[in-house]
Amino acid sequence: MQKVIERILNLLAFLLTAERPVTADEIRSTVAGYEQSTDDAFHRMFERDKDLIRRLGIPLEVKPTDSWQVDQGYVVERGSYALPDPELTDDERTALWLAAEVVRLGGQVSAPEALFKLGGAPRGGSGEPLAASLGGGGADLETVFLALVEHRILRFDYGGKLRRVAPYGLVHRRGHWYLVGPDAGVVKVFRMDRVVEVTVGDEPEAFTRPAGFAASEFIPETPWEAGGEELTARVVFDPAMAWWARRQIGARGEITDLPDGGIDATIPVANPEAFIGWLIGFDDAAELVEPDELRQRFLDRVKGI
Amino acid sequence: MTSQRTAGRLSRILAMLPWVIANPGVGVDEVCDRFGYTRGELASDLELVFVCGLPGYGPGDLMVAYIDDDRVIVELADYFADPVRLSPPEALTLLAAGMALISSGQAPAALERAVAKLQRVVLPEDGDALVVDLSEPPLVDVLRKAAVTGRAVEITYTAISNAATTVRVVEPWAVFSTLGNWYVRGHCRLAGAERVFRVDRVKDARLTDSPFVPPSEPPRPEIGYTPGAEDVGAVIRLGQRARWVAEYYPVEVVDDDEAGLTVRFSASDPLVVARLLLRLGQSAELVSGPEIAAARDTLRRRIIARYEPA
Repeated sequence: MQKVIERILNLLAFLLTAERPVTADEIRSTVAGYEQSTDDAFHRMFERDKDLIRRLGIPLEVKPTDSWQVDQGYVVERGSYALPDPELTDDERTALWLAAEVVRLGGQVSAPEALFKLGGAPRGGSGEPLAASLGGGGADLETVFLALVEHRILRFDYGGKLRRVAPYGLVHRRGHWYLVGPDAGVVKVFRMDRVVEVTVGDEPEAFTRPAGFAASEFIPETPWEAGGEELTARVVFDPAMAWWARRQIGARGEITDLPDGGIDATIPVANPEAFIGWLIGFDDAAELVEPDELRQRFLDRVKGI
Repeated sequence: MTSQRTAGRLSRILAMLPWVIANPGVGVDEVCDRFGYTRGELASDLELVFVCGLPGYGPGDLMVAYIDDDRVIVELADYFADPVRLSPPEALTLLAAGMALISSGQAPAALERAVAKLQRVVLPEDGDALVVDLSEPPLVDVLRKAAVTGRAVEITYTAISNAATTVRVVEPWAVFSTLGNWYVRGHCRLAGAERVFRVDRVKDARLTDSPFVPPSEPPRPEIGYTPGAEDVGAVIRLGQRARWVAEYYPVEVVDDDEAGLTVRFSASDPLVVARLLLRLGQSAELVSGPEIAAARDTLRRRIIARYEPA
């Protein structure tokens, strides 16, 4: 490990002071640590080192070494290497460190390493008996965020259809991540856990995000309001579970109190799958009364047919 | 794995150097505290830096880095005077954590300032493109207050398993949220044991005057689920449309192929898995798990009885 780190520090020192693209051959003959290998060994070593450098967030680019474009060389530009200084104070760094301690996002990123780049974090007392997990995170979420930051177009499969979307917003709500952006001219909401086979466009600044676009306004209040259908369901909830239903129905539902303490609710449904899933959580303490077609669908699902 | 550790060590060196360069004469303790170093780790990283530098690699080409009289000295390393920019995933991790805490209403003012400053750097034109909303259900506030002040709460709780409602006094140790649901963990005086309750199933919560002393080392606010000794197990085959289950439930993936996933499921309560199976319908199949099969069949009969009374 020591040898690798020494070699990469030497390479970065060289690239950061070169201020021009340098070829792999020049690196091999100039930078300490690369000199003694065979061609094959050098290339393997150099490839691994390049991966590691890019993983640290260092923009290692390939550019022609002269205007004839005969040779390609490597360059790290100071301007894109350096962190634009957010000018955090120590109490702000500590607050970020505490936040990253209690709120976790899955994936490969180490929050402490990210904080070191910002000047480290003097440890502060925690004491907050609170913790939260924002879900798996993962490579696709990171890719989408990269596209959002750099204004690149995304292509992915969603519900068996290929989409081409300009990422306007990324929203986490009620345990789910949502991507918001125009697909064929219409702004749509995509649940990240159903987005697959994501690829990101080569071109940065490929779209302009409308100023003041409020991504969170597109996220429906309940999971069953996100969908293409327009149904209105009537459900009777028993007294024992009525309070629990009341908390979850959402502002667009209408609730009538029943004499026995139960409720009769009229609820707009755009996504029957999600609605049926939610209702099953009430076991037999709720009954979907109308419409017939949805009632039958619910019953078929319960019967497993 | 090794390369992960190498990356971590290199990343810390490239963050520590700019700080020392910008704060000449900084003390060893401060650098250790700030960057999570032990003195030994810091000393060996500085030794490593000392043998690196520019081609020529003689005195004057190599960086100078050592500890002198409890001060960290770094010279001839101006090309490492800037910290490396945050990668987008790193920025996402920090921003999401900060925004989540702010949205829960529990953030100190310093965190709000930190997130605003980071937003300006990472998303200069689109600060509102990333939104993290960890809105809390009613009563989280009371439960947290009870945990902070060390007073028991009386809760009216409807069990997820049998929908039975009980009133119980609980000593809450921690409140946490995972995948959109909030939980409270603590000692339940009714059960006389440690319990985890889902906050949305708490109908009512009232702060009592009864104090409690939390365990000296309470379990870390647990994210996710740890199978207990009395859990029932099942093997479930998930079709493509049910793959998401593996991300939302504590399952162990046994097999993964083109047609779907086979997972081992473990739960303290068979009914939770039974509901999930009904919900998944034909996109999942219970391969084995007699307790869960029985719970599913009972639940199915109960619901059908309501819709189709004999």
